[in-house]
Amino acid sequence: MSVRFDIAVVGAGVVGAAIARDLSRYELRVALIEANPDFGDESSKGNSALMTEGHDTPAGTLERDLVVRGYQRYMAEAPTLGLPMRRTGALMLAWTDEQRATVEHVVEEAHADGFPRLSLMEGEEVLRRWPQFRPGVLAAAYMPDEVIADPFSTPYAYVLDAVTNGVIFLRPWRVSRAERLADGWRLANPQGETIEARLVINAGGLRADIVEGLAGYADFRMKPRRGQYILLDKPARAIHDIIAYPTPTPTTRGILIAPTIFGNVLVGPTAEEVEDRDDRSVTEDGLAALKRAIDEMVPVLRDMPVNTIYAGMRPATDHSEYQIIPRFAENWLTVAGIRSTGFSGALGIAEYVMSLVFPVVFDLKPTKPLRGVTVPDLAETSLRPWADADRIAADPAYAEMICHCERISVGEVRDALASPVPPASIKALKRRTRAMFGRCQGFYCGARVQAMFDAAQAERSGCEAAACGDRRDA
Amino acid sequence: MRDPDVLIVGAGPAGLAAAAELTRRGVGDILVIDRDDAAGGLPRFCAHPGFGIGYLAVPRSGPGFAASLLHALEGSGVRLLCGTTMVSLDAGPTVTVTGPELGHRVLRPKAVILATGIREANRGNRLVPGERPAVGVLTTGLLQQTVARKVPFPAGMKELVVVGTEHVSFSAIWTARHAGLRVRAMVDERAAVASFAPAGWMARAFGIDIRLSSRVAAIRARDNRVAAVEIETGGRRETLACDGVVFTAGWIPEVAAIATGPIGIDRTTGGVATDENGRTDLAGVFAAGNMRHPLKASGSCARQGRSVAATVASALSSR
Repeated sequence: MSVRFDIAVVGAGVVGAAIARDLSRYELRVALIEANPDFGDESSKGNSALMTEGHDTPAGTLERDLVVRGYQRYMAEAPTLGLPMRRTGALMLAWTDEQRATVEHVVEEAHADGFPRLSLMEGEEVLRRWPQFRPGVLAAAYMPDEVIADPFSTPYAYVLDAVTNGVIFLRPWRVSRAERLADGWRLANPQGETIEARLVINAGGLRADIVEGLAGYADFRMKPRRGQYILLDKPARAIHDIIAYPTPTPTTRGILIAPTIFGNVLVGPTAEEVEDRDDRSVTEDGLAALKRAIDEMVPVLRDMPVNTIYAGMRPATDHSEYQIIPRFAENWLTVAGIRSTGFSGALGIAEYVMSLVFPVVFDLKPTKPLRGVTVPDLAETSLRPWADADRIAADPAYAEMICHCERISVGEVRDALASPVPPASIKALKRRTRAMFGRCQGFYCGARVQAMFDAAQAERSGCEAAACGDRRDA
Repeated sequence: MRDPDVLIVGAGPAGLAAAAELTRRGVGDILVIDRDDAAGGLPRFCAHPGFGIGYLAVPRSGPGFAASLLHALEGSGVRLLCGTTMVSLDAGPTVTVTGPELGHRVLRPKAVILATGIREANRGNRLVPGERPAVGVLTTGLLQQTVARKVPFPAGMKELVVVGTEHVSFSAIWTARHAGLRVRAMVDERAAVASFAPAGWMARAFGIDIRLSSRVAAIRARDNRVAAVEIETGGRRETLACDGVVFTAGWIPEVAAIATGPIGIDRTTGGVATDENGRTDLAGVFAAGNMRHPLKASGSCARQGRSVAATVASALSSR
């Protein structure tokens, strides 16, 4: 027998999670279903972690509107979820006359589009305030309101909020069949489990086209674009602490060099169209391009130690616009093709989805009493648990470091493992806590963290075996 | 808690030997802190012979050496606190620590001996391209701690490729074999085995394919696990199927806690800059062992800890 829901959101990336969170405000039975063992396990784990105001999106598009709105909502709502942000600002730099012309144009356009705080800054002033840049800067567009945020805790906060307020999170639950019913859909996974929903919202990210295909739709096809990154060690941030963009070309926004909320400096992303949507390989060519970007923009970072290298995948399609397609007569809503703006746009997209669904599909208002949630603040510049005398006095486990590079305590790892949305893998635990994220990448702490993870898994499976209650049925 | 006369940061061979020597010379109030959950440093994870050469009359296994260093401190009154981390070091010397017993607090000892050891360069540090599986990319340190802490390896992990041919690379092979893992190949960019030649002979006798003048060009994965490494030898690429790859050596002194502070770092070694007696450029702060200059063997680290302690003891008595 299928479990029956009002709405099934397919895909727990940052966009699906934000939609599920907004849906949890209504008196509805909502399922958030994710093919991977954890949320944010594909595109959402490999982005630049920038919350952008939106002026860099194409004017006059839905994407522009939703990113602008997503940024506004994030500024208002992230603090209530405990999510950290730093308004570091950004610079788009020009070293040639041609680039200068582009930068001037960007500033003019931004002013015309309602972003009055962007300004043109002359090269001398740029180099006086930020002497790390390669000499010869002619000018820059200064964007004081650009923000760095936590790319992992953000979808976590959305999922945790959704689950706390009644959304059922099913994972891993890969939709392998979609069957049209008189009043909705029956979705099945390869294990033969099924759920039914009156409305399906396909937020399938990189695999949105596959989910569309199961329902018989073929309006777009994925053209995934890989982005490789280098993460520099923490001393880099003492040298470089502002988001730096090169001047964009018609094909790409280019490789940026930006501080992270965790106190490192990120270099990336490259932009490569790849055949295999799962090919998140780092390549020698990619690394060479990233090193070139360092040389061209902030050459003093050239010899900075590298903590790790990785690649993300943008869920782009063969259309340049977002693919938000309501088919309410067929009980289906597609939310796909979010390209590279999912992190900034998620809350704007979610709000737009609510405006489509209510009251047209469900004549309801968001009147449900809510339980608030917060996630741990993992920012390097926030008061860390190890330095928080009150917290340590209450629980000495916050003073015993397990990850020495990032200074993450036994208490924080324990808390993450005890979450109502526990990490399903060691990498997910890493994204929840920052443990093993640092320069040693687990040399010192990997075995201990793994032991804590294994113990929590064993306890959970023991608990489930002893009929403590499978969350799926709860 | 009172401030100690001497604070030793790191309870590995250098730090523990320094504590023993200070006691022997009558320095009374010594606190040794270590950020790990037990004392002994990295040797305690290396369950094979060859530790303490030049320090002990008879060399022992890694854990045996660690035990003998701790044994020497029994009844000495030296205080030892594990799970306790130095988070910053400033002039004074002033040391900020965090730990379950001490909380977050400032210590003002008369002298500090830094003995924080080293780590190995991992895949990211070395910029090795390819896929990034969750399972199977290791360092010797991670491999040996996993075995020593009895954390099970993922099911199906059977065959490893070891990157490097230094002493520690063979230490990794020892650990892997005792944990029931097969080492398929060793890969090194150098033209000859970096460790003693007999180590190479033995590895070959175990059936390990030693690929010299070769580098790991990429890591390949399947189902989020290591599936193979691509190695390049003289422009020719070859894929070696394996379940794990162990990056060994590539030593990096562990100076992160002090790298942004007032103490000078030696750009050539990456370690703390000291004079020949182990004095750093911050008054009252000394350093010993691998954090000064990688990689000394455990016995040499202990000997250096002992000699730096002698310097510290005479500095204290002349105050």
